[in-house]
Amino acid sequence: MDIFLQQMVNGLTIGSLYALVALGYTMVYGVMRLINFAHGDLVAFSAFIGLSVYAQIFGESVTSLVAVITVFVFTAAIVAFVGVLLERLAYRPLRTAPRLSAVVSALGAGLVIQNSVMLIWGPNMKIFPSNLFPSTIWEIGGIVITFTQVMILGVSSLLMVGLYFFIHQTKIGTAIRAVAIDQDAAKLMGINVNRIIMIIFIIGSSLGAVAGLFIGTYYRGITFDMGWMYGLNAFVAAIMGGIGNIPGAMLGGLLLGLFNAMITGYISTQWAETFTFVLLIGILVLRPTGILGETVAEKV
Amino acid sequence: MKKMFPKLTASLAVCSMLTSASFAAADVIKIGVQAPITGQYANEGQSIDNGVRLIVEQYNARGGVLGKKIEVVTCDDQGAAQQAAICAKKLVNEGVKAVIGSYTSGATEAAQTTYNRAGVLQTSDGTSDSLIAHKYWTFFRNSFPNSAEAEYTAKYFVEGKQYKKIVVLSDYSSYSTDLADATVKALKAKNANIIYEGKIKSGSQNFTATLTKIKSMDPDVIYFSGYYTDGGLLRAQQMQLGIKADFVGGDSNDNPDYMKLAGESAKGTLLINVPTPDILPYDIAKTFLVDYKAKFNMMPASIWSLMNVDGLRAILHVMELSKSDDTKVIAEGLHALKDFPGITGPVTFREDGERIGGGYMTYEVQADKSYKIVYQ
Repeated sequence: MDIFLQQMVNGLTIGSLYALVALGYTMVYGVMRLINFAHGDLVAFSAFIGLSVYAQIFGESVTSLVAVITVFVFTAAIVAFVGVLLERLAYRPLRTAPRLSAVVSALGAGLVIQNSVMLIWGPNMKIFPSNLFPSTIWEIGGIVITFTQVMILGVSSLLMVGLYFFIHQTKIGTAIRAVAIDQDAAKLMGINVNRIIMIIFIIGSSLGAVAGLFIGTYYRGITFDMGWMYGLNAFVAAIMGGIGNIPGAMLGGLLLGLFNAMITGYISTQWAETFTFVLLIGILVLRPTGILGETVAEKV
Repeated sequence: MKKMFPKLTASLAVCSMLTSASFAAADVIKIGVQAPITGQYANEGQSIDNGVRLIVEQYNARGGVLGKKIEVVTCDDQGAAQQAAICAKKLVNEGVKAVIGSYTSGATEAAQTTYNRAGVLQTSDGTSDSLIAHKYWTFFRNSFPNSAEAEYTAKYFVEGKQYKKIVVLSDYSSYSTDLADATVKALKAKNANIIYEGKIKSGSQNFTATLTKIKSMDPDVIYFSGYYTDGGLLRAQQMQLGIKADFVGGDSNDNPDYMKLAGESAKGTLLINVPTPDILPYDIAKTFLVDYKAKFNMMPASIWSLMNVDGLRAILHVMELSKSDDTKVIAEGLHALKDFPGITGPVTFREDGERIGGGYMTYEVQADKSYKIVYQ
C-alpha cells in the first residue's frame, strides 16, 4: 500500500507539470483551432531563461523566497512576451490561411525556438542550483514527499483553480469563451478578438514558464531539446482530457502522470510509452472528444 | 560559430606544421596520430595529440629513436567513421610506422583494416569488444574492455562489500547495456544475489517510479551502468525517496556534471573507474603530468589520452629494445612485453592485442565532491 501511495505522489507531481503545459495547448486550440506545436519548446526556453535571470539578478549564492518568486515572475513575463511575439509573427498572418499552413508554421516556430536556445546556451546540459528550494523531506506513514513536490502540487493546483475562475467569473473570461464559441459573432458583439488571443497566449505561455521552471528546480538538469518530450506528453494529456477543454487538460495531465507512474512501477519502463499511446488511441476511438469533451458544451 | 574558429586555426596550424616538417629531414621515423581534433570530442582528441607530441619531443631531445628523429603526423578524424577511413589512407601514404588513436571505438574500427593491410601498427583506447574481434596483428588496445570493469565490479560487490541484494540498472545505449550484461554475468559467476535488473530511459528525468519499485525490494546496492546525466538524477531521487542502499556508478558517471546534478546527494556515491590522471600513483605519471602542465598549461582531458600515450611509449620502447623499425618485429616485441611500466599502470598485451589488467578503483565521493579511494 505504501508503494502504491508513493507511486500516486510520483505520478501526481509529474502529472501536474503535464497539466500546466497541456493548458497552453488546449487554450490556444479552444480559441484558434490551432495546435501550437512550439509550446513545448517554449517550456524548455523558459527553464533556460529562468536560470539566466537567477544568475543575473542574484548570482549563485542567494536563495530566499523573494529570490524564487522574483525569478518566477520575471521569467513568466519574458516568456509571455515571447509567446505573444510568436502569435504575432507566426500565427496571425496565417489566421485565414488553411489549417495546415498554421500547423506547419507552428512546427517551424518550435524549431526556431529550440535552435535559438541551443545557440544561446549551448548544446550541453545546464544545471539548476540545488538550493533554490529547501531540501526538506516529509515522511508520512512510509510515503516520502519533498518540499519541491509540495510546491509543484500546490502552485499548479492554485494556478489551475485560479484559471478556472478567471475563465468563468470575469468579464475577460466571458469574452474568451465567446471568442471560442464563435469568433465572428464575438467580433460583432464588440469583442476585440486580437486582444483576446493575445491574452490567451500570455496566460498559456506563463503557465508553460511556471512548468519549465518547476522542471528545472525539480530535476535540475535542463537540455535545449527537452521541450519535445514534455510537449508531446502534454499534448497527449490535452487530447485525452478533450482538447479545447480547460478542466479536461488538467484532468488529462494528472491522469497521464498517474498512468505513467503505475505502468513504470508495476509493469516496466519499456512499456510506459507504449501503453500511453495505446490509451490515447483507445480514448480517441471510444470517446473522440476526450474524457470531458462531450459533457461540456462550450469549449475554451 | 565563435567557438569553431580556435579549433579551425588549431587544425590549420597542425596541417601547416606537417607539410613544413615533412620536407625537413628525409631520414626520420614517422608516427601518426588519428584523433578527433575538431568536433564533439575535440578536447579528448587535442589532448591525445598533445600527449604524443610531448613524448616525441622528449625522445628527440635525447637524440630520437634508433638514431633518427621522430616526426608526428596528425590527421583529424572528427570522431567520425567516414573521416577515419580517409585519415587511414592518408597516414599510410605518409609512411607512418604506427598510428596512435583514435579516441572513439567507431573511428578506430573504421581505420583498422587499412592499417592492417599496410602493416602499420595501431594503438587505441576504444573499449568496444569488436575492436579485437579481427585479431589483427597490427592492433593493440591500450585501455581495458568493458568485461574487465565488470569483473572488477563483481569482485568488489561480492568480496569487498559482500552485498546480499543487488539491483542492476542500465539505459538502452549499447555501451550501457553491454556493461550491465557483462556485470550481471560476472556477478552470477560469483553466485551473487541479483534481485532486480532494470532499464531506465535516458533523458526522461523522472525515475521516481522505477526507484519506488526498487525501494519495495529493500536492496543493499543500486548499480548503474549508464551515463552521468541520468546517474546524477537517479542518485538525487534515490536519496529523496529515502532508499538507504549504496549507489555505485560505472565509469561514465565519473564526470563533474554528476556532482552538480546529484547536488548534496552526491556525497557517499561510489564510482568505479580507472584512476583519474591526478591520482595516478606512479612516478612516471607524476613526472609526465608536470611536463604536460608546463608545456600546455592545462591537464590532459582525461585518462584516455594517457592510455594512448602509453601505447606510444610501449612502441618506442620496443623499437629501442629490438633495434628495428620493422613493424612485424615491433609487434612481436609488443606481445613479448611484460609489465612495461606505463603512466596508467603496467602494460602487457595479450596475443589478440588486448591489454591485460584493469587497475580499476572505487572512489567514494566526499562532501566537498573530492574522491577518496576505497577499494582497488
